[in-house]
Amino acid sequence: MTGPAASPALRARLDRLLAANAIFVALLLVWLVGAAGSEAFVTPGYLFNVVRQIAPVGIAAIGVTYVMILGGVDLSIGAVISLTAVFCAVQMDGDAANTLPAILLTCLVGTAIGAVNGALIAWSRVTPFILTLGMAVAVYGLTQIYSGGTARGTVAPGFRDLANTRLEGLVPVLAIVFLALAGIGLAIQKMTTFGRQLFLIGSNRQAAILAGLPVRRTTVIAYALAGLFGALGGIALLARSGVSSTSAGQGLEFQVLAAIVLGGTTFEGGRGGIAGTVAGVLVLVMAFNLVNIVGLDYHLQLVVMGAIIILASALYGQLQARTGRA
Amino acid sequence: MAHTRRFLPALAGMAIAVLLSTGAQADRAARDAQDAAAARMVDTATFKQDGPYRIGVSAGYMSNSWVVFALQHIRWEASQHDEVSEVIVTDAAFNPAKQVSDIEDLLRQDIDLLLYWPVDDAAIADVLQRAVAAGVPTINTGGGFADGPGTVANAYISQWSLGEDVARRLMKDLGGKGRIIAMLPIAGTTAAVDQLDALNTVLAEYPEVELLTAEYGDWNRAKAKQITENLLQRYPRIDGVFSPAGQMSIGVAEAFDEAGRLDEVTMSPGDEYNGWLKWVAEHKQGGAVPFPTRAGQVAVQIGLKILKGEPVPRGTAVTATFISPETVGEYVEMDAPDDWWASKLPPKFLPPR
Repeated sequence: MTGPAASPALRARLDRLLAANAIFVALLLVWLVGAAGSEAFVTPGYLFNVVRQIAPVGIAAIGVTYVMILGGVDLSIGAVISLTAVFCAVQMDGDAANTLPAILLTCLVGTAIGAVNGALIAWSRVTPFILTLGMAVAVYGLTQIYSGGTARGTVAPGFRDLANTRLEGLVPVLAIVFLALAGIGLAIQKMTTFGRQLFLIGSNRQAAILAGLPVRRTTVIAYALAGLFGALGGIALLARSGVSSTSAGQGLEFQVLAAIVLGGTTFEGGRGGIAGTVAGVLVLVMAFNLVNIVGLDYHLQLVVMGAIIILASALYGQLQARTGRA
Repeated sequence: MAHTRRFLPALAGMAIAVLLSTGAQADRAARDAQDAAAARMVDTATFKQDGPYRIGVSAGYMSNSWVVFALQHIRWEASQHDEVSEVIVTDAAFNPAKQVSDIEDLLRQDIDLLLYWPVDDAAIADVLQRAVAAGVPTINTGGGFADGPGTVANAYISQWSLGEDVARRLMKDLGGKGRIIAMLPIAGTTAAVDQLDALNTVLAEYPEVELLTAEYGDWNRAKAKQITENLLQRYPRIDGVFSPAGQMSIGVAEAFDEAGRLDEVTMSPGDEYNGWLKWVAEHKQGGAVPFPTRAGQVAVQIGLKILKGEPVPRGTAVTATFISPETVGEYVEMDAPDDWWASKLPPKFLPPR
C-alpha cells in the first residue's frame, strides 16, 4: 500500500526539485551536448577558460539581476562597461601603484551612475526601460567626450598578468573573481533584508508601498549595485583583453539580459535570482563555444546558437510549468 | 552506390571549383573596372572658386580611434593652408538619417567643400547629389571607392589590396605551406568580403596552404580572443593566422600565448594600430601593412585642388610603406595607449591620451 501512495508524492517532490533547478538541468544538457561534440568540454582547463571568457558579462549580470527581481531593467549596463573600462585604464596610467586607487575610483563611478538611475526611477514616473535607455545614450556620449574617441589610458603592468594567471596552472584568477562575486551576490540576495525586500517589492509594488516597505531606498540601492557590478564587469573586460575601443561594452547589455531571463528572472519581477543568472550566463557562453568549436559555418553558428538558447528556455519553461511555477 | 558516393562529391567539387573560378574572374573584372573608374579625371571647372574656404566634414561615426586620427589629419592639413578659414565637423553616430540632416546643415552653413565617410552610401546618395548640384565638391574619405554621381572624388583605401598584401606576406613567412585560420571583421561588410576574397585569390597560388576556417571577430579584441581560444581546442595544429586588423591580431596572439602555442604559429602582418605594433616590437614577427589614417590629409589636398580648378583623378588610392618587424621601432609608441595609430601628426594635433 505504501508504494503506490508514496509514488505520486515522490514524483511531486521530484517535479518541484526539477522545476526549482530547471536552468541547471538546461545547463547540464547543453554541457552534455558539448561533451558529445568535443572532448574540450570534459577538459577542466578549457571549462575554467569558458568561465573566464564570460566573466565580464557574468559579473555585470549579477547587479542587473537585482534590478530585474525588482521589476525594473537596466539598459545602460553596456555603456557603463564601456565607460568604466576606459576610465580604469586612464586612472591606471601604466603605473602599478595606481592599480588599487583606479579600481576603487572606477567602482565609485559605476555606482554613482547606477544610483542616479535608481533615484530618477524612484522619484519620477519615467519607466526604467526609457530612463536607462536614455542613460545609456548619455553615458555613451560622456565616454566619447572623456576619451576623445580613442580608448585612452594604459593598463598598469601586472594587472592583466595577475587576472589571467592560472592558479595551480588550471584555474584563471579572473574566473575565481567572477565566481566569488557571484557568491557575494547570492549572499546579498539570500541573507539580507535588502534581498528579501527586492522580491516583495518586485512581486507587488503597490502592496509593498502600503506595507511601508522602503521602496525608493531599495530601488536606489538595486540600481546602484547594478552600476557597481557593471563597473566591475568593465574592469574584468579590461583585465581579460585590455581596452581596445571606446565602445567595448556596446551590445553586451543584450547578452546580460538574455542570460538573466534564461536564468529564470522575469521582466515582471518578483522571481529569479543570482544562481539562475550564473547558470544562464554559462548556457550562453557554452552555446557560443559549442557552435564555434565544432566548426560550423559562421552564419549557421548564429542559427544553431539561437536555437540552443530557445530550446534551453523552452525546456526551462516546461520544467517550471510541471509544478505550476511558471 | 560506391560509385555514386564517389561521383557526387567529385561533381560537387567541380561545381564549387567552377563557381569559385567564376567568382574570382568576376571579382577581378570588378576590380579592373574600379581601377579604370578611379583613373578617370574629374572636370573641376564647375567647382573653381576663390578662397577663403569653409570645409565641412560629415562623419558617419566618430567612436573609433582610426576615424579620430583621420579627422586630426584633416585638421592638420587644413591648418597648413591659409585659404582654409574653417573646418566644421558633424557626427552622425552611425545614424544614416542624421547624416542626411548633418549634410543639409553643413550646406546651409555655406561650406565650399564636403568631406565625408558614410554610415550608409545609399542613404546619403541624394543629399550628396544636391551638394554637387549646388557647386560643393564631395570627397569620400578613407573608405572604399565610391562611384556614385554624388561623389566627385575619393581618397580611398582598398581592402582587397590590403588583404592581398597581407596574404602574400603571410605565404612568404610560412614558406608556402601550412594550415591557417583567418580572422576577419564584421561578416558581410566590404572589409570582410574583400579581405577574404583577396586571401582566397592568393591561396589559389599556394595549394599546400590549407585555410582551416574563416572567423569574424567584429574588430573586437575580446571576441577575436574568445574565438581563437575555441579554434585552439578544435585544431591541434595551426601554422599561420591571416589577420589584417591589428586590433584583432592582438586578441588572437594572446590566445595562442595563453595556450602555450605561440611558438607554433606565424602571425600575418596587421595594421599600424599601436597595440599591435607593440606586439610586433616585442615578438619580432608579423609587421604591419598600414591602413593609413592620413587618408584625411589626402582628402583635403584633393579638395583644395578641385576648388582651384586643378585636374584630379576620380580616385586616389592612399597607400603606405610596409612596416617590417625590423623597422617597427620607428613607428611604435610604447608609452602610448594600445588604441592609438602610428602617424606623423604633430603633437598639437594628436588626440588626448
